[in-house]
Amino acid sequence: MTFSLLHATDFADRLLYKIIPPLKAGMVVLADRYAYTAFARDVTRGVDRQWVRELYSFAVRPDLSLYFRVPIDVSVDRLVARRIKLKFYEAGMDLGWSTSPVESFKLFQGKVLEEYDHLVQEFGLQVIEAAGSITEQQRLVRMLVSQQVQMTRGIEISDDESI
Amino acid sequence: MTNPSDAPAPEQPGANGQSLTGRYYGRGIPYLPIDEYPGKLFVVEGTDGVGRSTQIQLLREWLEVKGYGVVETGWTRSPLMQPTIEIAKSSNTLNKLTFVLLYATDFADRLEKEIIPALKAGFVVLSDRYIFTALARAGVRGVDRQWLRNLYGFAIAPHIVFYLNIDVKTLSRRVLESRGMDFWESGMDLKTGDDIYDSFRTYQRSLLREYNSMADEFHFRVVDARRSIDRIQDELRRQVAAYLEPAEKPTEPALAR
Repeated sequence: MTFSLLHATDFADRLLYKIIPPLKAGMVVLADRYAYTAFARDVTRGVDRQWVRELYSFAVRPDLSLYFRVPIDVSVDRLVARRIKLKFYEAGMDLGWSTSPVESFKLFQGKVLEEYDHLVQEFGLQVIEAAGSITEQQRLVRMLVSQQVQMTRGIEISDDESI
Repeated sequence: MTNPSDAPAPEQPGANGQSLTGRYYGRGIPYLPIDEYPGKLFVVEGTDGVGRSTQIQLLREWLEVKGYGVVETGWTRSPLMQPTIEIAKSSNTLNKLTFVLLYATDFADRLEKEIIPALKAGFVVLSDRYIFTALARAGVRGVDRQWLRNLYGFAIAPHIVFYLNIDVKTLSRRVLESRGMDFWESGMDLKTGDDIYDSFRTYQRSLLREYNSMADEFHFRVVDARRSIDRIQDELRRQVAAYLEPAEKPTEPALAR
């Protein structure tokens, strides 16, 4: 519960200071993770599914949400290759499912991925298969983003804004 | 369906007309089921400076003399959150949402680590303030009431909630006589004015209105806090004894014949 609530507090702070003001100013906000991370991770930790959704009901619904999906083994290989040591909470070590960080990571993140699959349906997340080449992923991302941006392109400077 | 001992029909989140006493108000904590436990949770609620801590102190001594194990818990006393809350209060970055969520985190920590374990171990838990303080403070600041009730759906409905009721005039004098008016307790963050005395009165008046509006919803036992410490204590003891003692009889050992 405290894990979930602390993240919600951090999120609320960033939402009110870093996300809503630029949106009001007509700018594009890129968020690395959003409330969906909490939905997947907190539920895996045993928090009530509906409760956490209601908790985050103050969040702004994104115009576009991209979900980079990878099989769990690819995820582990990438992390292990890059920095060797898996973080305690990231590996779900607090749940005591396994004493081996890699084993625990696989069990925990495996469950997290299952939750994400539900979220794809529920919130209409755009899935990007992230096991493939970076260039291809980026092409797809640019295509999806440009569709969104074109609709809102060209913010007009209105006359009542004095310089 | 309805519990005959609860005269006014309870209207609490998560259940319709069912007494939730001792159980989760709403969705609860799925990984911490609390079906059966021997402990009791008594809450003393009331606004700042109304005399809660004094009453809890006296209640604790009395209960311990009677042989009960007592655990005390109080607002923002969680070891996890207390330093964070102090830092946040001293900076200017807190807004009503982060304020509410920090308090909720503190409460969740104490619930999981202190209150629930103590109840399971058969202690009487005396809580100096409970979620109602959070609901009142956030309500005054315009946070959505339904959202707040969902948020605190992981709280346990106490066995008894004593609400120490007072009027703003008596409260102002009592606070000024003891430690003086403080920034947050005067609602200075709401910026209703620069004068702390006026702000205190305006803020506390709205807080009292919030508390009073919850009295039926959460079955407050309203206690007139304008009376002397001893008279208030007598009333609390009478009600606590009435609650604890009938429940004890079946387990009392048979007396020598």
